[in-house]
Amino acid sequence: MTDYEIVIGLETHIQLNTTTKIFCSCKADSWFDPPNTNICPVCTGLPGVLPVLNQAVVEKGMLLAAAMHAEIQPVSYFDRKNYFYPDLPKGFQISQYDRSLARGGYLDLPMPSGYVRRVSIHKLHMEEDAGKTKNAGRERLIDFNRCGVPLVEMVTGPDLRSADEAAQYLIRLRQLLRWIGVSEADMEKGHLRCDANVSIRPRGADYLNPKTEIKNVNSIEAVRDAIEHEAARQIREVEAGNRIEAWTLEWDEDAGVLRKMRSKETEADYRYFREPDLLSLPITDEWKERVLAGLPELPLERRARFMQAYGLPEYDADILTGERNLSDYFEAAVQAYGGDPKRVSNWLMNDLLRMLNDTGRTADQLKVTPQYLAEILKLVDANTVNTSTGKALLAKVDQSGKAPRAIVEEEGLAQVSDDSAIRAVVQEVLNESPKEVESYRAGKVTLMGWFVGQVMKKMRGKADPSLARGILEELLGGG
Amino acid sequence: MELCDLSAYEIAQHVRSQKATAVQVLESCLERIQKVDGRPGALDAGELTAEDRLRVHAFITLTEERARAQAEEVDRKVAAGEDPGLLAGVPVSIKDIFCVQGTPSTAASRILANFVSPYTATSVARMEEQGALVLGKVNLDEFTYGSSNESSAFQPCPRNPWNLNHVVGGSSGGSAASVAAGEVALSLGTDTAGSIRQPAAFCGVVGLKPTYGRVSRYGLIAFGSSLDCPGPMARDVTDAAMMLQTIAGPDPKDATSATVPVPDYIEALEEGVQGLRIGLSPDYFRIAIPDARTGKYHTEPVPAEFEQAVLRAAQVLAEMGAEIIEDVPMPNARYGIPAYFVISRVEAASNLHRFDGVKYGYRTQRTPADLRDLYRKTRAEGFGLQPKLRILMGMYVSAAQYSEQYYQRALRVRTLIRRDFDQAFDPDGAVYVDALLTPTTPTPAFPLEAVYGDSVMMQYADQLTVPANHAGIPGVSLPGGLTAEGLPIGIQLLGPDFREDTLLRIGRAYEVATQDDPWRQEEPQSAHL
Ligand SMILES: [Zn+2]
Repeated sequence: MTDYEIVIGLETHIQLNTTTKIFCSCKADSWFDPPNTNICPVCTGLPGVLPVLNQAVVEKGMLLAAAMHAEIQPVSYFDRKNYFYPDLPKGFQISQYDRSLARGGYLDLPMPSGYVRRVSIHKLHMEEDAGKTKNAGRERLIDFNRCGVPLVEMVTGPDLRSADEAAQYLIRLRQLLRWIGVSEADMEKGHLRCDANVSIRPRGADYLNPKTEIKNVNSIEAVRDAIEHEAARQIREVEAGNRIEAWTLEWDEDAGVLRKMRSKETEADYRYFREPDLLSLPITDEWKERVLAGLPELPLERRARFMQAYGLPEYDADILTGERNLSDYFEAAVQAYGGDPKRVSNWLMNDLLRMLNDTGRTADQLKVTPQYLAEILKLVDANTVNTSTGKALLAKVDQSGKAPRAIVEEEGLAQVSDDSAIRAVVQEVLNESPKEVESYRAGKVTLMGWFVGQVMKKMRGKADPSLARGILEELLGGG
Repeated sequence: MELCDLSAYEIAQHVRSQKATAVQVLESCLERIQKVDGRPGALDAGELTAEDRLRVHAFITLTEERARAQAEEVDRKVAAGEDPGLLAGVPVSIKDIFCVQGTPSTAASRILANFVSPYTATSVARMEEQGALVLGKVNLDEFTYGSSNESSAFQPCPRNPWNLNHVVGGSSGGSAASVAAGEVALSLGTDTAGSIRQPAAFCGVVGLKPTYGRVSRYGLIAFGSSLDCPGPMARDVTDAAMMLQTIAGPDPKDATSATVPVPDYIEALEEGVQGLRIGLSPDYFRIAIPDARTGKYHTEPVPAEFEQAVLRAAQVLAEMGAEIIEDVPMPNARYGIPAYFVISRVEAASNLHRFDGVKYGYRTQRTPADLRDLYRKTRAEGFGLQPKLRILMGMYVSAAQYSEQYYQRALRVRTLIRRDFDQAFDPDGAVYVDALLTPTTPTPAFPLEAVYGDSVMMQYADQLTVPANHAGIPGVSLPGGLTAEGLPIGIQLLGPDFREDTLLRIGRAYEVATQDDPWRQEEPQSAHL
């Protein structure tokens, strides 16, 4: 049997998180609005209206283009894409065709198994969204709220080779969009929508076979599942001697099946021409520089730097750069702490991440600031508090917002390292537990942990545990 | 003389100085309309009656209440000593291609007959802010597609006040007729290939097509978006200047509106023409017409009466100190119509997409089989012949396989036409002129029904006006005499970008110099109804 490889290209529509729509002053986001309440004459295409370009859309587009290493064009144009559909009120979509905002570009995908897949970007342009159509029995309901919502359409080359790579592309793209602050990239809310072009070929071949297009794969899992299903189907067809036809398919996420929407024998002719209602869009060097000054270090760059500069394992670096706030938090804490960055990473990944997940906050919303985390680490390092008190302090600081040192003083949490005080408590524990003492001495040394626990309990966690253990060993052994 | 026959300038003076109230002006106009306009344009209007043939029929919708409220407000301001605005109490009509809040905005098409606009076009709003009284919406060719107004879905269509058996021209025909017949002092028209200047010439009024971008297009139901210009129609140059003053200037709602500062047009009017260089071009004294079978062009001179009217105007201007430059080359002018055929239709077909029966306007009353059928039936029933022809041609020449051959080529021709003007208006060029003087049209108003139906020939009536739309430059048509039959002759001035002031100044000088000419003393036929 032939060994096949899958060839995948992804078309994504990214909703930019501007305040207003792309060509009018309606607000861009309508998630909480009832149908047809966030509209105006312009976005509903009444006779006589004209579009006026929202500069913020261009600026977000520029940031995205730069983050994708695409070349921002000094002049670009808007074009009309003409077609009839009830949720397209003008009968054409204002988009960019042959002279779009940016050219070229790529995104590197570090794959969990160790290699890096570079995905080229074929198209990157700005456009307006259409409305939403809902079929209700024999009626079609149309909601124009989404008309004129700013989108960037981004199309990759046929560079992805597996469903996992396709999923990874969306994961990395989503991370990047949030990182540079151009989109909320919430796939459930349609901020990031995806169509997948899938074909197969014998491994090693360099030609492209006819592809099918899977529409509306709108979650990471859906992308993975739909592509796997479709690739398997194509292999079955080819093995059975059939030809792959250029169908458009739809992924039914609930049923887990692909449905054929239409055959695509002829390419639709959208009769593109320059949008006469908008002028050309020049991007001066000054404007570009000003906008790109706001472009942060990108996630993959930061990930590499964390590994190199802080000696973090790839696993840690990946998690800490998953989200921009978290990585900023980490760096600030490392700086304030001055000690081993790995120690900061451990505390972050073990304890603070859980706190974030439990409460649905981002790192910048924590009351445990990076400076407070560093302070706690220093308290532990100096044996002022033991590790478990240190971890308890995280929660106390996050609740009260007070400085860790102040809480330690207020609550008398400082560790007792006075030998005689601990010795007295140890003696008390031994007196109260004659059975355990006997067992220990009979050879059940694993009871040591229990004895330490008893001492800590009596001292409300303040004892220096290693000191306690030493005294216990001395008194038990010498018994 | 009745109030409605005064110029806009005089009316505003009267109202400001309380010689007349705005309400009195309104009453006078309503009386005139009552007397000469006849029944308003309507769908399914039935046969034309003998009386219909003796009326102007400029209006589709009268907005008397709107005008009255505005007139009362103007009078209140005057009484209170407040500034009533530049157009205080001036009655105006609006070509029914502009959206005006709360009024039917029909584009003279069945498909928009029931559309009541929820917003007002910028230029209309600006006139009302300056105290103008909007008396109503006037007729036009359906969606502005025509040069005679005969294609309006709202019949009877307007008839020429100078000879009621002749067309008013188009597409701003209702505008021209309403001004010529004294129903209003000013009208807001639009010019895509000559649609202000040609009816102005046919009806003996002043029509100004401003520089593209000088006047906001917001609220203008688009035809050829890269060519459309709203502009003033008036009985004299001063009134046109006042109106342009009011509507010109940048608009945040129109990205193609120009930010170039607006000069004081009225102040510049009386500066005369001393030292101005005014050009004549042989390419504007002949018409190139294609043979329907062979496609070959033959040229015909414009009628002698038209050439003489232009030369007489040149003579008058020369006597006032202008320098006349002959033989200004405009070699690409003859390609203006074919290029326009292509560009305007591509834009028009796209602009008409939105009329689909889904959101507003006409929807088929028959039960559609499916969505496509709803579109088909709605558009088949809602659009008249002209929109359909333009959609067909527009779709054809912008199709992927023909676009290069037609649309892209037409755009290159457009660049060449622009270059002709750039060279003529270049101060360092071989022939430098401040303005070009030409006939506006190659014929006077033709008899009703004489040309209608021949879309190609109808279009060639725009040959002398369309180059300015391609180039985006301003042009004005001025009354320049009457033919032996008593029909108005228009003369046209074309100038460089944003030099409407120069054109108005020349126009005003010509007006002053010819004010005692016998033809200026003639009255239109409608004055004797
Ligand atoms: Zn809107």
